[in-house]
Amino acid sequence: MSAPIHINGFTNDTLGWKAWLDVVQLAQATPAQMSVLEESHPKAKESDYYLFLVHQPEILRQRSLAFNAIMYAPGGLSRAERELASTVVSKINGCVYCASVHAQRFEQLAKRQDVIEQVFEEPHGAGTSDRERAIVDFSIELTLNPDHVNASSIQKLKDAGLQNSEILDLIHSIAIFAWANRLMLNLGEPIFPSV
Amino acid sequence: MLNQSPSDTLDRLVGLLPQSQTYAARREREKVVFATQGSEDGLFDPALPGLSVEERLYVALYACLLTPSPDLAAEYESRLRKLGANLQTILLIQKSDIQGIGNARIEAILNFTHTLITKPISADKMALSALPKAGLSTPEVVTLAQLISFVSYQVRLAAGLRAMKALELAS
Repeated sequence: MSAPIHINGFTNDTLGWKAWLDVVQLAQATPAQMSVLEESHPKAKESDYYLFLVHQPEILRQRSLAFNAIMYAPGGLSRAERELASTVVSKINGCVYCASVHAQRFEQLAKRQDVIEQVFEEPHGAGTSDRERAIVDFSIELTLNPDHVNASSIQKLKDAGLQNSEILDLIHSIAIFAWANRLMLNLGEPIFPSV
Repeated sequence: MLNQSPSDTLDRLVGLLPQSQTYAARREREKVVFATQGSEDGLFDPALPGLSVEERLYVALYACLLTPSPDLAAEYESRLRKLGANLQTILLIQKSDIQGIGNARIEAILNFTHTLITKPISADKMALSALPKAGLSTPEVVTLAQLISFVSYQVRLAAGLRAMKALELAS
C-alpha cells in the first residue's frame, strides 16, 4: 500500500464513478454489447462508465482497442512513463478520477510517488530528472496548446534521451487522455470513499 | 512514393510517406493506427443511428476551429461541402455564431462541443442535461461525447506527428 496523497483536491485513493444519464442494464444488453464489454476491461460489466458508453458498442470497441494498445503494448516508452503522462494530462484537464487511477498505476510500476505529489502540487516544472521534466513539459504543451508543438518541442525530448519510438508512445499517451478525460469529466462524476 | 495508405486520415493530412521515420514509427504501433482510423470510420459511419452525418461533421469542424487545428478544420469543412451541407451553417460555425444557426438542437450540440473543447472541467451535470432537453436520446449523447473526445485526441495526434515530421525534415 502506498501512502495516501491529498493535494489540491487530487488523490491516489480508489474512487468510484457514476453516470449522470441512464446506463445499459446488463439484462437488456444485446450480444454485441456484451462482447464489447468483455473485451474492453475485466470489470466493465460492473462499471457505470462502460455500461454508459456501450450504448454505442462499435465506438466503444474501437476506443478500447486504441486505449489498450496505447497504454499496455510492450516496448517503447516505459509503462510508468506512459502513466506519468496520463496523470499530468488528467491533472491539467481537471479529471480527479482519471488522475487517481493513473497515479496508482504509476506507483505500482515505478515503486515511488514523489513525482505524482509534484504533479498534483504544480505540474509546470514537475519531474525528478531531466527526462521526467521533459515528459511532463511536453504533456502540458500538447494538452493545452497543440497548435504550438513543433520540431523544437520534439528536439527537447530527444535531448532528454527519448528515442523516436518512445516519443510516439508519449504522443499517443497524451492524446488518448484528451479523449478519456472528456468522457470521465462530462458524463458523470467521481464517488469518494466515505470517511 | 505512392505507397502512402490513402485510407489513413492522419498519414494523408500530415503527409507521412513510407520512407519517413515517423511513418515507420507509426507502423511499429499498428494496432493504434488501425483503432484510430477505426474510431473515425465508426464515428462517421452513415449507418450509425442517431446524429446525422451532417451534424457529426459540424461538431468536428467546430471542435477543430476552437482547438485550433486549421488542417483538420479544412478537412472536415471539405467533407461537409462534399456532402452538400448547408453553406450558411458552415459559415456561421466559422464565425462562432452558433445562435445565428437558429436551430435549437444544433445549438445545444455545438454549445456542448464548445464546453468540452475549451474547458472540459466546466461541463457539469447541468451542461449534459441540456442535451436530452434538446431532444437527444442517450445513445445520441454517447455518440456526441465520443465524437468530441475523439477529435480532441485526433488533433493532438496530428500535431505531434507533424512536429516529429518537421524535426525529421530539419535534420
